[in-house]
Amino acid sequence: MSTREPLNTWLVGDDAPEREPDSQAQGTVATGTAPGQDASGAVADAPVEEAVLPAAAPDPETTPWTGPGAWVFPAVVLAFGLVALWGAATITAPDPTPPGPGFFPGVIGGLLVAVAVGMGVVNVRTARREKQALAEGRPGVSAKIPATEWSPVLIIALTLAAHIALLDFLGWILAGSMLFWGVAYAFGARHYLRDAIVALAMASAIQVGFSMGLGLTLPGGLVELIF
Amino acid sequence: MESLSLLLDGFAGALTFENLMWALLGVLLGTAVGVLPGMGSAMAVALLLPVTFRMDPTSAFILFAGVYYGGMFGGSTTSILLNTPGQASSIATTYEGHKMALNGRGPQALGTAAIGSFVGGIIATFLVAMFAPAMVRLALQFGPGEYFALTVFSFVAVAAVVSNSVLRGISSLLIGLAIGLVGIDSQSGAQRFDFGIPNMLDGIDIVVITVGLLALGEVLYVASRRSSGPDLSAIRSGTPWLGRRDFARSWKPWLRGTAMGSAFGPIPGSGAEIPTFLSLGLERRLAKRRAARGKGVDEFGSGAIEGVAGPESANNSSAAGTLVPLLGLGLPTSATAAIMLAAFQQYGMQPGPVLFERNADLVWTLLASLMIGTVLLLVINLPFAPLWAKLLRLPKPYLYAGITMCSVLAVYAINASVFHLVLLLLVSALGFAMRKFGVPVAPALIGVVLGPIAETELRRALAASSGDPSILVGSGISIALYTLVVLSVVVPLGIRIWRGRRAVQAAPIRTDEQVNG
Repeated sequence: MSTREPLNTWLVGDDAPEREPDSQAQGTVATGTAPGQDASGAVADAPVEEAVLPAAAPDPETTPWTGPGAWVFPAVVLAFGLVALWGAATITAPDPTPPGPGFFPGVIGGLLVAVAVGMGVVNVRTARREKQALAEGRPGVSAKIPATEWSPVLIIALTLAAHIALLDFLGWILAGSMLFWGVAYAFGARHYLRDAIVALAMASAIQVGFSMGLGLTLPGGLVELIF
Repeated sequence: MESLSLLLDGFAGALTFENLMWALLGVLLGTAVGVLPGMGSAMAVALLLPVTFRMDPTSAFILFAGVYYGGMFGGSTTSILLNTPGQASSIATTYEGHKMALNGRGPQALGTAAIGSFVGGIIATFLVAMFAPAMVRLALQFGPGEYFALTVFSFVAVAAVVSNSVLRGISSLLIGLAIGLVGIDSQSGAQRFDFGIPNMLDGIDIVVITVGLLALGEVLYVASRRSSGPDLSAIRSGTPWLGRRDFARSWKPWLRGTAMGSAFGPIPGSGAEIPTFLSLGLERRLAKRRAARGKGVDEFGSGAIEGVAGPESANNSSAAGTLVPLLGLGLPTSATAAIMLAAFQQYGMQPGPVLFERNADLVWTLLASLMIGTVLLLVINLPFAPLWAKLLRLPKPYLYAGITMCSVLAVYAINASVFHLVLLLLVSALGFAMRKFGVPVAPALIGVVLGPIAETELRRALAASSGDPSILVGSGISIALYTLVVLSVVVPLGIRIWRGRRAVQAAPIRTDEQVNG
């Protein structure tokens, strides 16, 4: 297993020591190696990195995916790939010169599908390692990642959706204030009245700045009807 | 010396009151977004793009350039004071910089970072001005085949080399390329991926993509980890100050860092991360050697000023270096450069050799304002660093609510259409998913911007040869570029495997632990 590990590690990108400056220097600056240095290079592993940067959470880019969520992104990639392939097959060109308009989408679609499959393979391997680790009583890889809090994300998404839907009707000042207030609420602001005043002030300032400074018009909506 | 007189002309163009004001506004904005965690110059430029559309292009680019350099500057402040690097390029600074701050030497760390960035920025921008014409002469020999090879090179470099995970980097790039396909095909006029919606025929506006992926995606991501975000309240700072002894220790690392940053900056895909870490490693090694010879102390690990001076100047000089391929070839090598390229396209200009012929005054004014911006940055950063740190006390809810508002406005300002806002929501969801699953965003941006160029050049080349693919490798330049592509994949792969082997031999159990937990 250990011989196959490095390549696999490279594919998952599970190499936190990459950012450890000592190993960078060792890989590139060739000077006479003092006896003590090799040892320090070998010790300079993931634990050192965590010790040096206590505030930095584990780099999400190098954290392998686990659990059912692991399949979300491969599915997104696959969906993009299938749409691109569908397009490649159905796009019709008035003038079909050798590489027509469907050629590039076809290549990209094919690569997307291939990458999705590759991610799937990595997922299966990670799941296998995770299982093994749990069986041996060690903590799994998923333990390190901070959990996602869904409620603020949903509040922001819904506020945005409402803002978009109501922008033309309510006008910028009201819809913009609502957006500001909603996002601030999602981030934990609980001084409702003060938040509303700040939101209204921000939205009005932007309205004035945009129409006066840049000559862009924002929708007036309800407020315009009243005045 | 021709370049020198052109640069002087550029100074004459840049030193107007109006342009100085734009440069000042740019560096202030840039420093502000650089200081705030999770925000970078790329996001600021993306938000400004639609607003500046009605401005004179020269002023707009002076503003963008100021933001770009200011972002680099601001990032060092948080790295040192808070141990939270705002962007990948400031990670190297945190190691020694934050230790200095903990030891009460924060002012010295901020001082050496500010002056180091200044030294790196000025020298590297000057080098850009000197070398850009040479790059242009090379670029004039490029045909469609060579341009296609160049885009392939930067795709591979960005997706495979910079990203920590190759598969995720490539997936991001491909998603960007796929998004770039939407709209009317410029070669044949065929409608592609418009899903029957007339608004989609023009393609998805680059502002929607950048704002969605960079700004709103980040807002959603920060919201999703509300409780695990960095604590910004515990900051202490002082006015940056550099004593004579610290200055004597800093000036050589500044120059060495500048040399590294200038050498790596123009290489597509190398980013600022590689030169900053190389500089940190070099300074550490040199300090060890000096200590061994009894000249000076090796403070590395407990806050060495050399470990801040080197990486910071490397960081800024590599930022300047990315302008060489951007202006000379039209090739963006970072997310910010990709958005600047999009900005050029919005003004109907195509960066590359033609830009130097048609818009020479703009290019030289831009380069001159970058140097002016660097001076402005030193002036505002040395005395006002504590003020910037106070920016971090801004209530987080208001900060992110404000960013959300600006994002929506930026997109609405494109052409006052609600449809674009709906697209924005979808792209933000994608940006959030990418962050949540640790997929880098920068390759997607480069894919969106460069994809259409790559496709056009490929099809032009093939049309010229009536379908014979051998034209793609028909010149020395393209063969050299493809060789670089292969090398840039094989060399890092080899190093990683070799390093992995060594780790396995040295400590087999540790490697296993590292993989599993």
